[in-house]
This record gives sequence, structure tokens and C-alpha cells, in this order.
Amino acid sequence: MQFRESIGEFFYGMALAGYEKRLREQFMELNDLFMLLCFMELVGLPNPASLYLLEIYPYFLEEFHMWHRRMGMDRSPLGNMPCC
Amino acid sequence: MRELLKKRILFFGGKGGVGKTTCASAMALAASREGKKVLLVSTDPAHSTSDIFEHPFDREEREVYPGITGIELDADYEARRYVDNVKGQIASLFSPAILKEAERQIELAATMPGVEEVALFDRMSDMIVGRLEEYDLIVFDTAPTGHTLRLLRMPELMASWIEALSKRRKALLSLNQDIDRVRLVRQSVEAPSDPILATLEQRKEKLEQVRIRLMQHNFTGFVLVMIPERLPIEESARASEMLRDANVNVCGILVNRILPDNLEGGFYQARRQQEQVYQDEIRRRFSGYPLTWIPQFETDVYGLKNLERISRHLMDGRVG
Repeated sequence: MQFRESIGEFFYGMALAGYEKRLREQFMELNDLFMLLCFMELVGLPNPASLYLLEIYPYFLEEFHMWHRRMGMDRSPLGNMPCC
Repeated sequence: MRELLKKRILFFGGKGGVGKTTCASAMALAASREGKKVLLVSTDPAHSTSDIFEHPFDREEREVYPGITGIELDADYEARRYVDNVKGQIASLFSPAILKEAERQIELAATMPGVEEVALFDRMSDMIVGRLEEYDLIVFDTAPTGHTLRLLRMPELMASWIEALSKRRKALLSLNQDIDRVRLVRQSVEAPSDPILATLEQRKEKLEQVRIRLMQHNFTGFVLVMIPERLPIEESARASEMLRDANVNVCGILVNRILPDNLEGGFYQARRQQEQVYQDEIRRRFSGYPLTWIPQFETDVYGLKNLERISRHLMDGRVG
């Protein structure tokens, strides 16, 4: 069984790992864009819907952490976010 | 202009000081005389409906006259209300630790510029979508023209913004699904329900409902109020054009404070002569719209007795 799994992983790596990596990169990029659109005020752009986004902010708390790290901000640009 | 009674939502707008509030109040009174239940909403930050009715209005709906419920919207209060509402909604969804931070974040966001305007718009949307089961007619007494046009454009602006967000979210989710498929994680190939997308879609749907109601010509009408003077005429002309572009039905134009015929003296004659010129110009420039003329009274208008006079002119006064 172990052997069969390893073989499976091997062929997966040969055929699809690169593809998955690209998909993940693309996912991250799209996610960054989405987050940027939701938190536009942070970079000084007006966001007409900021009030309507209040109700979805709590869902973002986790993603937000990953995002601000990826954007090159070590600490949360919002002094009072739970993360760093 | 009995035609106005057939609408369910009426906006009264025009340049500052031409008598929007008076005309909106008179309209509410006229409709209540016809046995309709009316909601009179003042959206102008400088409220004066309570002065006209000589009865206090509140930030919430309350009866100000038999058959008329009044409300004077307050932007700060609406922003507060909206934020509290959101807090209430999320209270059951998250753990206390996250909640505490989320609430702090929400408080912060609520102080952003522009929030009041959106909160005000949101309250008006609630009325347009939700209060017409209770009332036969909603009359909005609006702030001077520019502000109101922005409010009317808001559903479109917001809806397209939210649409863009929700499209992006959908793209994200489907990409995530692709990754799962590659990974052969069969159990999660079914698209998981995403709370963010669900919230966005819900919001979009409500905005769409408001937009449809505002542009439904036999349902919603905009009444432009002006006086026969240069600046109000020009502004009303611009407003009527913008409203037409926004596909909002301008269902009537009220020309307020027409000087009476029987005046004597050189000053009055001169004024009247000038007014005659403007009257002709109004007839020419607004030929496509139903016009009603309301005379200037010997006293200024406040209190029910005077309002009654205006409302009679509004319904059965000189037209065309």
C-alpha cells in the first residue's frame, strides 16, 4: 500500500505539481486583488462600499494576516487588528 | 396634479429655499385627505418639516397628523444604527476573541468619511423596499438637488461595485476548487458555501430591488420645485436632464410663489413683468412636463392652515 501511494505521489509530482503551483500562485494574486478592493481605505483610495463591507470584515481576520505579510507589511497596518 | 396620487413613492427636490419642504408636506397632507396612509421622510440635514407641521418629528417614524407618519433622518444616528445592527448580526457567528477585535475594526471603519451618506441611503432603501406594505405613499423631502441626485445614483454605483467584488470572489472560489481537483480531494469538489460571497450577493439583490423601484415610472416619481427666477430655472433644467439620464421619472414641476394679478404700484408691476418673462420661459423649457403654479400668499407658510391652502393648489390649482 505504501509503495502504491509513493508511486502515486511520484507521478502526481511529475505531471501536476507544477500546474498546482501555478494555480496556487494565481489564487494568491486574485486573493490579493480581492482584499485590496475590500481594504482600499488602507492604501488611501476611496471605497464607496466600505460601509457595506463592515458585515464581511470579521470573515477576513485570518486571511487578513496572510495578506498583509504578503504585501510586505510586517505588522498589521491597522493598529488594532488582532494579528501582530 | 391629481396624477401624483397614483404614485407610491414621491421625491420632492429643487434648489434651496424654493419651498421643497412646504410642497412635500402639502402633498402628504393632500394624500392623507384622500384617505391614504402617508410616510413623510425629511432627508435634508437642515430639517424643517416639524416647523411646518408645528409638531415635533423624530429620528424614528411617528405620527405627526392623522394619516401622516413623519420622520426626520439623521445621518449620524443612521450610521450608528447601521454599525450596531452589523454588530448584532455577527454576534452569533464568531467566537468572543475574534468578535472583540472585529467590533473594534467595525467601530474604526464607521468613522470613515462618506459612511453617513451610505447609512442614510441604506435607511432610505429599507423604506423603499420594506415600508410600502404599511404605507400607501412615501414622500421624500430631499436636500438640495446635487445631494439627491447622488442618492438616486447610489444603488447603481453600489451595485456595480459589489458586483465586481462578488465576481472576484467567485473567481477565487472556483480557482480554489480547481486546486482541490488537482489534489484529488474529491469530498470538497462540491463548491462550499462561502459566507463572504453570500453576504455580497444578498446586498446586491437588495440594491437591485431599490434600483428597480426607483426607475419604475408608474411607481416612483420626482417632483421638481422651483420659483420663477433665473437661478432656480437653470438648476431645475440641469436636474431634469440628469434625472432623465438616470432614468428617473420627473412626474411634475411645481412653480412656487407666483405673484398675484391684482397688485399695484411700480415695483410690483416691474416684478410681475419680469416674472411673466420667466413664466413663458418655464413653459417653453419644461414643455414636456406637467406644470402646476402655486401663488405667493400674503403670509409665509407654516402651520396646518396655510399648508392646507398649498395642498389645495397642489391638487386642483392652475396647470399648464
